[in-house]
Amino acid sequence: MTKIIGIDLGTTNSCVAVMEAGKAKVIPSAEGRNIIPSVVEPVKNLVGEVAKRQMVLNPENTVYSVKRLMGRRFSDAEVKKSQKMVVYKIKEGKDGMAVVEVGGKTYTPQEISAKILAKCKSDAEAFLGEKVEQAVITVPAYFDDAQRQATKQAGEIAGLKVERIINEPTAASLAYGLEKKKGETIAVYDLGGGTFDISILEIGEGVFEVKATNGDTHLGGDDFDERIVDWIAEEFKKEQGVDLREDKQALQRIRDAAEKAKIELSSAQETEISQPYITQGKGGQPLHLTMKLTRAKLEQLAGDLIEKTMKPVELCLKDAKIKVSDVEQIILVGGMTRMPKVYETVKKFFNKEPNRSVNPDEVVAVGAAIQGGVLGGEVKDILLLDVTPLTLGIETLGGVRTPLIDRNTTIPTAKSQIFSTAADNQTQVEINVLQGERSMAVDNKSLGRFILDGIPPAPRGIPQIEVAFDLDANGILNVKAKDKATNKEQVITIKGAVGLSDEEVKKAQAEAEKYAEEDRQKKELVEAKNQAENLVFTAEKTLKEAGDKVKSEDKEKVEAEIKNVKDILAKEGSGKEEIEQAANKLSEELQKVGAAMYQGKSQPSEGQPTEGEAPKEEAPEDKSASAKASADKAEEGEVVE
Amino acid sequence: MMSKKKKSASQDKIDELEHKWKRAVADYANLEKRIEKEKNHFIKFSNAQLLKKLLPILDDLELCENHLKDQGLTMILNKLKEILKSEGVEEIKTQGEEFNPEIMEAMEIIEGPKNKVIEVVSKGYLLEGKILRVAKVEVGGGKEKEIK
Repeated sequence: MTKIIGIDLGTTNSCVAVMEAGKAKVIPSAEGRNIIPSVVEPVKNLVGEVAKRQMVLNPENTVYSVKRLMGRRFSDAEVKKSQKMVVYKIKEGKDGMAVVEVGGKTYTPQEISAKILAKCKSDAEAFLGEKVEQAVITVPAYFDDAQRQATKQAGEIAGLKVERIINEPTAASLAYGLEKKKGETIAVYDLGGGTFDISILEIGEGVFEVKATNGDTHLGGDDFDERIVDWIAEEFKKEQGVDLREDKQALQRIRDAAEKAKIELSSAQETEISQPYITQGKGGQPLHLTMKLTRAKLEQLAGDLIEKTMKPVELCLKDAKIKVSDVEQIILVGGMTRMPKVYETVKKFFNKEPNRSVNPDEVVAVGAAIQGGVLGGEVKDILLLDVTPLTLGIETLGGVRTPLIDRNTTIPTAKSQIFSTAADNQTQVEINVLQGERSMAVDNKSLGRFILDGIPPAPRGIPQIEVAFDLDANGILNVKAKDKATNKEQVITIKGAVGLSDEEVKKAQAEAEKYAEEDRQKKELVEAKNQAENLVFTAEKTLKEAGDKVKSEDKEKVEAEIKNVKDILAKEGSGKEEIEQAANKLSEELQKVGAAMYQGKSQPSEGQPTEGEAPKEEAPEDKSASAKASADKAEEGEVVE
Repeated sequence: MMSKKKKSASQDKIDELEHKWKRAVADYANLEKRIEKEKNHFIKFSNAQLLKKLLPILDDLELCENHLKDQGLTMILNKLKEILKSEGVEEIKTQGEEFNPEIMEAMEIIEGPKNKVIEVVSKGYLLEGKILRVAKVEVGGGKEKEIK
């Protein structure tokens, strides 16, 4: 299935975005920019940046701002207004609709827009490396049915199935995730390159209702640039007596410098405009342009332009029958909203912080892409299941839960660990697969158990049994246990290792938290018991192997301590401290035996390493390889990672 | 009947999950390809930002040289140009060429042969064959055209 792209088809610029792995990403154009100028030269089929570059040479054949003509009749006031502004020819076409004439041929606004959309499509295809056939396209909230229909047709001409036409302010709200809100009132303030729009929306149950719109179709960033250019030229004229506006080359240089200064002043308080050899004086001497522009000065130069936007805002609120204080969210759209003064003016008017964390040039396209993701089934809460909600592990010696795959691991994933036997000559191990957050096996949910048998008889801790967990993207868990010596293996497949309801997950986590301390104590007790048992085992072995090399009174002492430890272990409800104390005493006596054995020997080189230390030697990890004489229960002991 | 219904529900779930999985794997595979492309691009073009910032200085120095005709300055300029050249920056040939919007931006129409570049307002540059900055040019409007 192919992706549904989101397209912001703007008056001056267009922008494309797409959902990728749950996130909206703006697609760079073939020219490497995130926006595509909405300019078309249909004769040579030039679109975007390239069409814009030749506009001066070929003004009659270069169509821009065609959005103002979309779905409009030739007799519309807006069309008449456009006619005065643009150089290309606007005519009356079929059914009285406005069309453009270029190179002796007529084109509908749909056909011109289709060329922009076709570029969006091919740039997206180049970026994604796959075919793109579906799109969500945005339109201004005030577009009527005919204008929306025309936009849809433009998409179809471009070879795109238009899955939905959505309002620009709605798309901006989607980009901020506001669709989840209930009954909120949102103001979207959109100040772009050439137009200003304000919309008041109301959200209820995921439905956006446009309460009112207003704006100024001929107010934008270009007006701000013009103010700066005029100021620079005036200042220069005062100082040098030369009007730079009369020198086309100089004018172009200050235009570029003005735009650069405007952008810099969004972050800096002051910027330097420096253009050496800008022109020549009356006597032929070179003249340099060098001046400082402060943010305060810029705000003074363009203050009235910003103020001009507030009147439509007031009218819009009036039309929507909404008080300023009722507006709960304000969203800023369009490059000009980066100007601190614009932000402050809007903030002061609404007495609230406007949202501006999403790039204002891209926010509409991002919202359209999110809508595309929803339609394509890509955006769904179910994506959260892509992590394991609970820890998966197995039961090890003493009923302890040893985790293999931790909670919140992104799936699919696989992990394996080597375990060993807990007793001498143990020929089978039982693998109990557990799910949950508790430290003790019994407190977790057992997903299944199986036995691996046929392990060759060997001292405990020697066999290597690899336990591998493989959790696939569908939440199916495969558990494999393999004896490395014989390569004999057993496998179990468990379905639904991930498929838990939210409540189940919450309950399990809450329980884990609640019982964390209790679990820790239980686990420590088991570990103490395991250690004590291991020590008893070692002590008995030492005495047996040492035979008559041990003095009988020493032997008796050790035997007494062994009995003491065994009694405490057998007793119901013995505490961790009690067990540890008894074990320590036994350990001391056992060490004395070891030391005595060394003293008794004339040739220590023949001797074994002190047997008293044996438990440690055999159990590199304390809790794990502790011994237990009875081999039928708790078979697994962790030996190596 | 019941079990059939149940089966189709779980089959739907399997289909849905499989669909999602395939999509994720495809997204990932495509991302890998793109990262490879971008990595190569990055190696080649990581200097673009800096080089772009240096171009206005080159413009200024050239203006200065035109005026002063100073030999020392010419030497400095040549050094700077050498450095840019060694970094893969190449000047776009414009003077007298046919106007081409892929690499040039038309600022104005002036007297001269139609569609030919007559004046260069600011030079354009390529970095490894890709546009670093387009040339800003003035283009001839042809004799029959009235020039203001």
